[in-house]
Amino acid sequence: MYRKILDKLQVLTIDFEKFLNKVFSQQYNPFYYHGAVPNLFMWTLFITGLLLFAYFQPTLDSAYISVNYISTKIPFGQIVRGLHRYAADAMVIAVLIHAIRVFFTDRYRKYRWIAWYSGVALLLCMFVIGVTGYVLVWDERSYMIVLMMTDALNQIPFIGQTLAKLFVNGEVITHYTMAMSFFIHVGISFFLLYLIWLHYVRISRPVTDVPLGLGMLLFSLIMIPAALIPVVSGKPAVLTETPHEFPIDWFYLWIFPLFSGMPALIVWTGLFVAVAILLLVPYLIVDIPKSPAAVSLDNCVGCTLCAKDCPYEAIYMVPRTDHPKYKQLAIVIDSRCAECGLCVGACAFKAIDLPQKHSKEIIAKIGDVLKEPITV
Amino acid sequence: MTNKKKKILGIVCERSVDLKKHIQKNKLKDKDNVSIVELTCSGMIQPVMLEEAFKQGAEGVFVMGCQIGDCHFREGNKWCQERLLGQRPPNIKKTVDKNKVRGYWLAKCDYKKFLDKVNKFEEDLCK
Repeated sequence: MYRKILDKLQVLTIDFEKFLNKVFSQQYNPFYYHGAVPNLFMWTLFITGLLLFAYFQPTLDSAYISVNYISTKIPFGQIVRGLHRYAADAMVIAVLIHAIRVFFTDRYRKYRWIAWYSGVALLLCMFVIGVTGYVLVWDERSYMIVLMMTDALNQIPFIGQTLAKLFVNGEVITHYTMAMSFFIHVGISFFLLYLIWLHYVRISRPVTDVPLGLGMLLFSLIMIPAALIPVVSGKPAVLTETPHEFPIDWFYLWIFPLFSGMPALIVWTGLFVAVAILLLVPYLIVDIPKSPAAVSLDNCVGCTLCAKDCPYEAIYMVPRTDHPKYKQLAIVIDSRCAECGLCVGACAFKAIDLPQKHSKEIIAKIGDVLKEPITV
Repeated sequence: MTNKKKKILGIVCERSVDLKKHIQKNKLKDKDNVSIVELTCSGMIQPVMLEEAFKQGAEGVFVMGCQIGDCHFREGNKWCQERLLGQRPPNIKKTVDKNKVRGYWLAKCDYKKFLDKVNKFEEDLCK
């Protein structure tokens, strides 16, 4: 049942992409670069963030003023600020599309588990970075975010109070609160780089860049709003007045309406369960285990073609001494092997084969199939 | 054998056009002169397999994989396409007549398109 639904979803995705192929052509189909698109927005965020970093002052007194200074006095400051905001929103959309497509097309489990797990971590980090980013502006909304977040964190049993103390960086809101948010916002952004390395490891030649044309199109999607709809701060936060409402950015601040609607503990539990489900999803379907590719010692000539063609970095070459002529030998790392047979196609010496689908059998089958007479 | 029915062999990725319903005894139900051998991925196809097919009396061979850019194993169809074009080792021997080889890159639900292309291939072979 579950499998059938997944199959339907896969056909649905392929149908949708066929339609996109007609619009964009295969070379520029954004869905074929679903992993590179979030990357594009991430680098936009890094660069614009670095520019904002130069003028931002992380204290309660001057954060609001410095952000407004960036918007009004610095040349192109408004656009850089706008890009930083809209790229962040675009990134959520791109990341969700990436995750959903990977799920629908069945490319998240078995030998890909490490990419899925690091992806979940990346997703969580993205939301933490987003929420702390909204604190830095220090308008009424930021103040509300800090208040509500502290309240919600306090309700987590055992570790809640420590977390709340860490988030506020003390008992009450001070300059150090702002410093902490700034630290989390920038610090975790750099932690993303490590997670992305984990995300790419075991993938040969990851597609990290979109083609130039598609990149310009996607960039214009954030550049146009950044130029036309300036991002502005709300009223400055005043610590003696508690605001009651604030405009919601549904991409990052979706958790706050939940906090105001129900007890925070339920929200945290829901979040915990959601993450647990995400981590379990790759193991919901179990395939019959097959055997990874096997190298024949007698036939391998050490030409490295299979190691070059393997899409999962599962093959590497080692020096060999047992043969008078050939100096290298291909070795398969079983846990990384996807049993896809690309190495078989790359081998001209019948030296590497899938035991369950041997190239000899296939060649024999080709012969058998062709021997059958055509009925006229 | 009449001029019309050419012996054609298709070496096909099991994740591209879904042929399971259309195959009977390794042959297409709609066209019984077309034999099909299914593989895990089009990237698994060795040039030796094409050579073997012609040696065993095939008059045309086509290779089919998923749409370029959408390989389940990331790069299989790209490698296969490059091999057919002679841009990637191992190369197909020069004794193989490239006019009798086709590569199709189609998605799971493209059966109609697939039939059209095979019919076109057959016509080309008869010329």
